[in-house]
Amino acid sequence: MTTTDRGSANASFEFEGRTIPSAAGDTIASALFRAGVRTFSRSFKYHRRRGLYCLTGDCPNCLMTVDGEPAVRTCVTPAAGVRRVARGAGWPSADRDFLSILWRLRWLMPVGFYYKSMIRPRWVFPIAERVIRRIAGLGPVPREPSHATKERLNHHPDVVVIGGGIAGLSAALAAAEGGERVMLVDEGTISERNAPGALRDRITALRDALSRQASASILERATAVGIFEGPLVPVVDDDFLHLVHPARIVVATGAVERHAVFPGNDLPGVWLGRGAARLAGVHGLTPGKTIVVATNTPEGLLHLDVLHRNARREGGAAIVAAVVPAALASRVPAGIDVIADGTIVEASGSGALRSVVVEAAGRRRTVRCDTLVLSLGLEPRDGLLRQAELEPVVGAGDVVRPGCSADEAEESGRRTADVGAAPEAADDDVTAPRLGSREGFLCLCEDVAVKEFEHAWDEGYRSTELLKRYSTVTMGACQGALCHAHLKAFVGQRSPGSWTGKPTTARPPARTIRLEDLAAGARVPLEHHTSLHDRHVARGALMDWAGTWKRPSNYGDVEQEYWAVRRNVSVMDVSTLGKYRVAGPDATALLEHIYPCHVGDLKPWRSRYTLLLNEAGYLFDDGMVCRLGDGSYYVTFTSSGGDGAESWLREWTDERGLKVHIANVTASRGAINVAGPKARELLSRVSGDAVDARAIPYGGLREMVVDGVPCLVIRVGFVGELSYELHHPSRQSESLWDALLDAGRPLDIRPHGLDALKLLRLEKGHILVGQDTDFDTTPSKLGLDFAVKMDKPDFVGRTALQRIALLPRERSLLPMTFAGQRAPEEGAQLFVGGVHVGNITSSRFSPSLGCGVALGWVRHPVGAPPSRITARDTAGDSEGTVTKGPFYDPKGERLRA
Amino acid sequence: MTLKVTCPHCGPRYTTEFWFGGELIPHAASATPGADALRLDFDRVWLKTNVAGVQGERWFHHAGCRRWLVVDRDTRTNEFHDHD
Repeated sequence: MTTTDRGSANASFEFEGRTIPSAAGDTIASALFRAGVRTFSRSFKYHRRRGLYCLTGDCPNCLMTVDGEPAVRTCVTPAAGVRRVARGAGWPSADRDFLSILWRLRWLMPVGFYYKSMIRPRWVFPIAERVIRRIAGLGPVPREPSHATKERLNHHPDVVVIGGGIAGLSAALAAAEGGERVMLVDEGTISERNAPGALRDRITALRDALSRQASASILERATAVGIFEGPLVPVVDDDFLHLVHPARIVVATGAVERHAVFPGNDLPGVWLGRGAARLAGVHGLTPGKTIVVATNTPEGLLHLDVLHRNARREGGAAIVAAVVPAALASRVPAGIDVIADGTIVEASGSGALRSVVVEAAGRRRTVRCDTLVLSLGLEPRDGLLRQAELEPVVGAGDVVRPGCSADEAEESGRRTADVGAAPEAADDDVTAPRLGSREGFLCLCEDVAVKEFEHAWDEGYRSTELLKRYSTVTMGACQGALCHAHLKAFVGQRSPGSWTGKPTTARPPARTIRLEDLAAGARVPLEHHTSLHDRHVARGALMDWAGTWKRPSNYGDVEQEYWAVRRNVSVMDVSTLGKYRVAGPDATALLEHIYPCHVGDLKPWRSRYTLLLNEAGYLFDDGMVCRLGDGSYYVTFTSSGGDGAESWLREWTDERGLKVHIANVTASRGAINVAGPKARELLSRVSGDAVDARAIPYGGLREMVVDGVPCLVIRVGFVGELSYELHHPSRQSESLWDALLDAGRPLDIRPHGLDALKLLRLEKGHILVGQDTDFDTTPSKLGLDFAVKMDKPDFVGRTALQRIALLPRERSLLPMTFAGQRAPEEGAQLFVGGVHVGNITSSRFSPSLGCGVALGWVRHPVGAPPSRITARDTAGDSEGTVTKGPFYDPKGERLRA
Repeated sequence: MTLKVTCPHCGPRYTTEFWFGGELIPHAASATPGADALRLDFDRVWLKTNVAGVQGERWFHHAGCRRWLVVDRDTRTNEFHDHD
């Protein structure tokens, strides 16, 4: 992609009520600078004015809200396509910000003041927190839901190279030439980063050579945010979260120019050399009219040259002084005032730079200027490199040898393709940065000065890790890009050679990322449909999530659906149940082991309700076990437990070395529950097979043909009426469903959804695993001891239940009723005699009983559950009665009909 | 974090395809005569060894062959090896 593709000359965006034109190749920041904007943000703590500084995406100064998204690095974000830009903090505006009074009040806010000052009285903290959150920060968090539809892509190259400078491009090229599949990732647009000239030409040539390699791919404007185990490198760009799974990684992220610490070092008008040179060389803008350049590196002289030529071309601007080591003085262009071996000790100005104080040969000299350009050495941009511990990662170029020449960078990059060679060790020879003054800002993100480090040090925070956490230095938007070296240098000066001065642990993300990036791909969740999905939708069903399934909550009228089951007949799609065939010589032994009920005595064509316990004796699922005519089994699990049931069955098969065939038929078999007093009548209309209580009694099952569909019909009782589950080949689900509804029309049939089901089963006191149970629910707490046969010699959880039986049982799930037309809310808190004893897990108004019915957990004296109970919800208190057994049809006559 | 497990049926796959089944602790209750069965069961269910080093583990390949596999993993480096 070239510059002209992305921006046309007449593009513009809105900036706080103004229209800002942008030229081709502009970033948001360069367009704003051209339009005269100098205050780019207000600082995090003191609301000090901040202007452009690094222009490489490393510092926090240019963070703005772009199209509603806060904290966007405008210096590396192209202006093309942007609609609205605003500065985040500042009241009433970033230009005139009354909150800058905080700078005068800084004595009130020493390092760590949060930890000390907001302890008592306790009620102050919530208020103070709200105020501070409004004042601090980087701008408002958008309240509207994001409409981003970012997706994930997985890549499996042999090598990923992070950084598209000379070292990175050379590393990628060498790997590609060696036959490896290479992916190169760069934050920006590789060939536009540098000002036109020899370096840019060299980079562009390397990039072109790489793009001609068939096994190489180049991802630009894409940010590698971390290196995880695996290794995994997540890369974020505008459209995707790329999950890159390489065999090896080359980090060539380069270096950042060293941040200098002196009073006034954060004034707008103070620049890092690369930033100023980029503004002049790439965007053709002069950073100021009177420029002082301070440098001690050959690179800085190149920046000086770019600025000098630009000033001469544009006119009206000039470099008024160059502060350089005496050895470099001869390389400063003629006509520029040279201050040899000088040091910048102070910058001053009110809101913008007015002058700098230079100390040279023991004398201080004040130079009037509006721009100070600093190029005082490099700090490796090694956040990613330091994240890697065990992963196959090597560095190349400036990140390991800050300040290396272009030739050295190329050689360093090419070396990484020789996998056998020892990786280049980081250059330990780099001198530590000067911490000149106590007053200057060491950390621009969080407004931390050296004197605050001293303060923290005196309080005992005497290592890099402790200072980092106490002062929050390196924890801001720059993630230590500017300040990590200074943190190390500070501790190194205080306790030389000690472990306390070690680099802090680097963790992902190395660059700020959006929550949206983390959620990439989450908008396409796994969504299971039953084969009747279209039928439900056509009937106008309200479809809702049930685990990974979409199921009908209702078809418009829950009460009518309820009465259809209680008075006539209804159908429900229960295809989501986990369904398995279990056969083979050891099938009985397996099921006998995993179920707490008896299985071996189950006669052919009989079924049994069963719990599933884990080894700790806790309930995790329930279902039915059915014995077929050939002695094999058909077992069902709940809709949510069905998927995991397979691992459970196979685990015990493997563990016990059993000969069992297990077939998961959850998807290939559909299931429709036909329930209601007229269910038998309906079945007799659509099937020629006998359906009377002798042919298929409660607890029985048989194979039947229903309207031409071969079904396994199981008599069940979950809803408390005569009911039959019709398990059938799922591709015939629709014709079976249609036939049942057609034949049922004279019987006033209507299908029911989950809403009606939950009420129907609650009236019967049947639990829903997961809703009424916790992770530590034993059968006896539920009153389901009948389903556990302790006389069996062994089953999963038996020993645990023996152990648990030795403990007093002081909690039970109890059925309770509430008089009146309203049932307490699910989640209502329960009280006995004013003492909190538990909460309600299921609750509904029962149309059949004319009162509220509920299940709830109650803590009670051993063996003595309460008889009266109070439920408290958002509407107030309601008095209830603890009852026994099912609320509806307690003797079970209807379901056994 | 995406680690690779070599499934004997499906080949090397990322751990996101697997369910972690915990460290390999023999299921069968100890047959030590005279031992307190309830105590042994408690130890087995609740007290994991949590080694810093190589441990046997069970992984279920739910997005693949849907079989359990047993592998050795070094908990310090997350390197996987065949279980002996």
